Formats: sequence, C-alpha cells, structure tokens
Amino acid sequence: MGKVKSLIKIKPKKFKNGEIVKVSFMVMHPMETGMRKDKKTKKIVPADYVKSLKFDYNGKTITTMNVWESVSTNPVFTTYMKVDGKGKLTVTFTDSKGNVNEKSKKIKPKG
Amino acid sequence: MKAGIKIALLFSLTSSLLLASEQFAMSDADRAMYAEMLENNPAEMDLEAGSEYFDEYCNGEAGLANFLGVKEEKLPEYISGFPRYVEKLKMVAGLDQVMQALMSENGHKPFKLKSGDMFGMLGYVKSLANDLPISINVDANKHMKEAYVLGKEVFETKRGGRGLSCLSCHNDAVKGAILRTQPLPDLGENVAGGTWPAYRMTKSSLRTLQRRFQGCMNNALLAVIPIGSKEMNALEVYVTNMSKGKEIAIPGLKR
Amino acid sequence: MQRREFFKKLGVVAAASSIVVPTMGFAEDKPKSPNEMSYKTALDAITDGKTPIKSDKLKLKAPEIAENGAVVPVTITVDSPMTDSDYVKSIHILSTKNANSRCADIHLTPANGKAMLATRIKLGGTQDVVAVAKLSNGEIYIASQSVKVTIGGCG
Repeated sequence: MGKVKSLIKIKPKKFKNGEIVKVSFMVMHPMETGMRKDKKTKKIVPADYVKSLKFDYNGKTITTMNVWESVSTNPVFTTYMKVDGKGKLTVTFTDSKGNVNEKSKKIKPKG
Repeated sequence: MKAGIKIALLFSLTSSLLLASEQFAMSDADRAMYAEMLENNPAEMDLEAGSEYFDEYCNGEAGLANFLGVKEEKLPEYISGFPRYVEKLKMVAGLDQVMQALMSENGHKPFKLKSGDMFGMLGYVKSLANDLPISINVDANKHMKEAYVLGKEVFETKRGGRGLSCLSCHNDAVKGAILRTQPLPDLGENVAGGTWPAYRMTKSSLRTLQRRFQGCMNNALLAVIPIGSKEMNALEVYVTNMSKGKEIAIPGLKR
Repeated sequence: MQRREFFKKLGVVAAASSIVVPTMGFAEDKPKSPNEMSYKTALDAITDGKTPIKSDKLKLKAPEIAENGAVVPVTITVDSPMTDSDYVKSIHILSTKNANSRCADIHLTPANGKAMLATRIKLGGTQDVVAVAKLSNGEIYIASQSVKVTIGGCG
C-alpha cells in the first residue's frame, strides 16, 4: 500500500513554551460512505473511511478521536494543544479497512 | 408568443430570481466561515506532492528558470505573467505545457495535462508567485495579441444546445443574479486568473482553471474544448487578463 | 441578445433544477449505511440517560446555508479551564438526518489547553448539526444549529 498523504499544521508557526497552539491534521482519504454508486461501474463503492485518530506528544497520548463516514473527503481536524517542551507530535490514524498510518511533526518552542 | 404571456413569463422569472437571491444570499457570518476554511485547504497536500514531482522531474526552480531563460530570483515574477508566449514551444502556453516539455527534456514521460499529478505540480509552481499581482501582458508580442483576440472570440461566441456563450452568464448585467442557487460570478472580481488551481468542494479534488472551463461548458451544453489547445489557452489568456493586477493566492478553495 | 430573451432562457434552466432539499435527499434505492444509527440512539449512547442542558459555554458554529453538502464546516468550542479537576472530556458532532447520525468525536485531556473541535462534514440534506460536550464534573451540554443544504450550481 502506498504512503497515505497527510499533513500536520501548527498555528502560529513560531510559539513559546507553555503557549496553546492550534493543531490541524489533514489527510487525503476518499471517506467513502458505502452508499455511493460509481457512475461508471454502477456498483456501490464499499465503505472506506478514516475511523480513529490518536495524538501522541512526547510519548503521551493527549487526544483521541472517533471518526465516521459522514466526515468530508480529504478530512481536516483541528484542535488545540499546550506546548510543553521540545519534542514530537505523532498522529496515528486507522481506517475502516484496518490500515494504520502515522505522521509526525517536530515541536520546537522558541523561548 | 402573445405579448401578454411574454410579460407574465418575464415577471414570474424575475420575481423567482429575486426571491431566490433573498432566500439564498449568504450571510456575512457564513461567508466568514467559508473564508476561514482557506487556512486548511486539502489542496495543500496536492501541492506538496506537486513540489516533490517538480524537484524530481523538472529540477525544481533552477530547472524551470533555466528552461524559460530567466534568472532564478526573477522566476516568481515571471510565473505571475502566465500564460505567455514561450519561444521554446513556439506558442502561447501554460506552465503545465512548459513542464511537460521540461519533463521530456529530462528523460521522463510527461504527465498528461488533465491528470491529478499535473494539476498538483501546476498548483505548486503557480503558488511560487503567491502575493504577487497577476502580470499577464496581452500586448507583449503579436502572439499574445492574437491569443487575446481569439480568447475574446471564444468567450463571446454563442454555441451549443442553448445558444449560450461564456458572456451570457458572465457579464455586468447579470453578475450576482442567482442561477441554480449560486450567484453568477464576475470572473475579474473573482480573480479567476489568480485563484486557480483550486480545491473544488463539490469534486473533493484540486482542479485547474481550464478544467473548470470544461465543466462549465459541459453544463451549459457547449462542446468541450481540449485542455492545452490553442482556443483553451486563448480563453485562459482572456479570462486571466480580467483580473490583471490582483493578488495571486493559490491554491484557492471553491464550491 | 435582448435581456428578456436571456431571462427566458435562464427560466428554462431554473425551472428544471431543484433548489433546497427540505428533507433527506436520498433516493429510494439507496443501500443501507454500514453504520446506520438514528440521532436519538446516538445521542442516548452519549448521554447515557442523563439530560443534556444548554449552556453559553458551548458554542457551535456552522453555516445557516451551506454552499454544498459535501464540505460543511463545523467548529465547536467549550469555555473551560482544562485543568486536571475541571476539563472537557469529550465533544461529539451529530447530524439529525444522516443515515449514520454520528460524524466525529474528540476525547480531550488537560494537555489540550483549550476545548475545541473543528472539522468538515457531509450532510445529505437540510437538517440540524448537534454538538454535545461532556465535562469532567459529569455535566453534559448540548447545542444545535439548522443547516440548509443547497443543491444545484452550474457544475
């Protein structure tokens, strides 16, 4: 299986330790509901969607999410995170077919 | 049709258009919510992939600048002036066609113009000119002048099942009127020339301006013109010129 | 072309297309959702018998009129100190008429600093979007917003 394209974005780009920053995770995923008929084959496209996310920061799970097929294709999820030291933020995402992928971003507070 | 019936028909149509515009006018709050979505545009992922292809197959900015015969630091400004007459291709061309030639030159099979990979690469390269004003020059040379004239002709020629032209729906008299629940946009005010490639929400994918033209032609019952053809490039020149001077902001986010 | 002639042509197009779908836009032959769950069942599962209350602390932001049903922005914020003793444990997004009314939920910890979930959802037709927030002290807040989904456009 090819690598699934995803992105982690932090806003603002420059932040201090202790600051609460916005974290957005986006992933290229069809988020098929299992109810859509393919125009060419006329067959129902089976369900295929991201179903859970786990946010780990410096080894600790700080946030988890459950996602269902009603979320838009190529979904974007945004929440907040308190910056607590230099480290790594890893988002692990699982889809309805059981595929597990992860994306990481270095967290480098300035000051 | 009898004059009385004609008037009655006109009345009911204009009143339904008015009612529609009241009913479906987007509130400022709603508009702000959609504008906010630009902050996290799924097309950013397409552009990231595009930047990787650009580096691998075109040797990045250095390779493109070299092919076009411009200094690398002048590349963003040069990009802001496309479509241009490209001497090496002997035609008025888009950056996607330039990159096809560049991919070939580097020994790679070029992406098809109408492919997701090319849309992403085009989006990335055009985004290098973000924040710069659209600087297309339709008087630069005789090729651009001809392209502008041809583009205007394509824009204004009525054709197809309903006898419509682009101008039928994109003109000052009807801009803002609601057609099929959406307000008709002025292509200059909308900065069509500087906000495509864009992520289309109804298609959940990155699309280019010419691809959008094709969709519109299809829906207006006009025969679709091929991407990269002389007529399509001319049309892009004509429409891009409508927003000359306005800031480039790619990728866009559109319905 | 005369303006009158032009509007006549527009009239043909406008009359032929549907505008707002007041109820679910699903066709009769639509297959069952693999995760079908009614709004009431989904809400009961979250509240577990407790009655959710309205609160100024829970803010749900969604458009009154959605440009399209495929990408509807939803942002939920809860005013909370997010300390170990007082924080928002979870935020849930539901839709009242989608076959599977569950959209997404987030389980937060004080490490989040602020309580918020923003995403984009699909709505099959005009309906309400509902936000539920469960707090560490056992309180459950609820808010809803009606979203008109327009169907149409020129392609």
